[in-house]
Amino acid sequence: MAVSLSDLSPNPSPSIGLGSGVDAPAEAVLPDFTSESYKDAYSRINAIVIEGEQEAHDNYLSLATLLPDQADELARLARMEMKHKKGFTACAANLGVEADMPFARVFFSPLRDNFQQALSEGKLVTCLLIQSILIEAFAIAAYHIYIPVADPFARKITEGVVQDEYTHLNYGQEWLKANLEAARLELEEANRANLPHVRRMLEQVADDAGVLHMEKEDLMADFMTSYQEVLTEIGFTSREIARMATAALLG
Amino acid sequence: MAASLGYPEYAEGDFEMWCVAPPQLVETVKVTSPTGKVIEGAYIDSVFVPEMLSRFKTAKRKVLSAMELAQKNDIAITALGGFTSIIFENLNLLKEQQIRNTKLQWERFTTGNTHTAWVIAQQVVHNAPRLGIHLDRAKVAVVGASGDIGSAVCRWLQRQGVGELLLVARRPQPLLDLQAELGSGRVLELNEALAEADVVIWVASLPQGLSIDADLLPRPCLMIDGGYPKNLDSRFSGDGVHVIKGGIVEFWQDLGWQMMEMADMANPRRQLFACFAEAMLLEFEGIHTNFSWGRNNITLANMDRIGEASLRHGFRALALEPIQAASLIPA
Repeated sequence: MAVSLSDLSPNPSPSIGLGSGVDAPAEAVLPDFTSESYKDAYSRINAIVIEGEQEAHDNYLSLATLLPDQADELARLARMEMKHKKGFTACAANLGVEADMPFARVFFSPLRDNFQQALSEGKLVTCLLIQSILIEAFAIAAYHIYIPVADPFARKITEGVVQDEYTHLNYGQEWLKANLEAARLELEEANRANLPHVRRMLEQVADDAGVLHMEKEDLMADFMTSYQEVLTEIGFTSREIARMATAALLG
Repeated sequence: MAASLGYPEYAEGDFEMWCVAPPQLVETVKVTSPTGKVIEGAYIDSVFVPEMLSRFKTAKRKVLSAMELAQKNDIAITALGGFTSIIFENLNLLKEQQIRNTKLQWERFTTGNTHTAWVIAQQVVHNAPRLGIHLDRAKVAVVGASGDIGSAVCRWLQRQGVGELLLVARRPQPLLDLQAELGSGRVLELNEALAEADVVIWVASLPQGLSIDADLLPRPCLMIDGGYPKNLDSRFSGDGVHVIKGGIVEFWQDLGWQMMEMADMANPRRQLFACFAEAMLLEFEGIHTNFSWGRNNITLANMDRIGEASLRHGFRALALEPIQAASLIPA
């Protein structure tokens, strides 16, 4: 297979000469992990991560009530999330930071409430979208962007976690792919209701993430890439995905 | 562009949304060579606009993500488009082989510059005589001579035999290195070169605001506009100056894709950038390697090889329109 890859921009500007405008920047500078401002921001970001892993654990166990034949696999995923939670708790301890858990619980409440609501109505597709796609893609984006600017201890732990999270993204993807036609309408509806929460969550942590040298644009772009990838695998066309994605971005 | 490719929502988005939008596999295409061989390919758009050139993290992410998408689609050989190549080179992305959970395999990518350089050389050789310019005594200015494409064109024309090569570029040292390598050629400032050049090959785009006196040019003059965007025609064409879009090829039959509609081609169904065609040629020939890669690695042997493949598989370099040429040949 051959391919062309390009950038046919809508309004090529005549001011862009070959080789002008872009020059290689210096290497990313690591933040001062011991500064008070870093620790303060870290107390919230780390709490979000810990809470996210806890919620993921709980959600996979809940999903097992809707998918009893897959209870063993879901219990295995839940155990992995617990292991991640312990790892990230150690990261905070290593920096001498106490995670701000009350903040994190409020942070996750819109997605948690929607998950619980769907669970109570037996809406498996919605639950899978929230946990296996949105939360996992959000986590993967955060870990990708965090790794290059993390302290050495946290970096090692996060690198291990991110590999696991791919398998979790994959879990929801495979189920939805196998059941796409039946799931399509509910999936689109759940996406419309929940994707805007992801954007708001990103905006809410943008300042703290910035202190950790994680840029909002990078986080959003990485999330979008995972999100597009998993929906493509499930069977949506790129144009359908653009429509689903922009519903949240523009809304 | 987004709207015409079927992404009305992106078209309505603002710059911030364009920055975070992931690359898109926009369309797939089947291409049949006159030999009967059929290949399949795809067009991937990196969702890049020139304003992102000044945002290095965005630019870097756009290029690497598009490459990741190509590789994840198991595409054997991908040609990087104009801006994509420039960003890859200037940001030294060779050291960024890991993108998310993908390790990029460089052998799956080509800049397409070998084919572009060969096509530009063909455009000079075939069109100059049509204007009554005798290459064996013509002065040929190459603007951007020390670049990857420019230096390859210089080497090729030197072997072909031209009157004299006039070498122009922004930075002096690479130009002197090239002159030493060629063992010939004269290093000149742009306006000095234009005043003498029977043929001008632009492989650098014209910076905005750079004023050039078209009256300087000898008549007749053949100009090959190999920069991007192609904006020389409106500035120079006419009164004995003849401009061809450089590095563009025409396929022997319609290509079933939409994407060139956006690239301001006279015949978008058949015309395309030579760098894109290189990916097709490598697939036709079963050459699954990064044929054009790095800077100043283009050899004459590889130009000949890709040129033979180009002709065999139905590509022709864009030429002067017949009327345009006829009007100029001295009676």
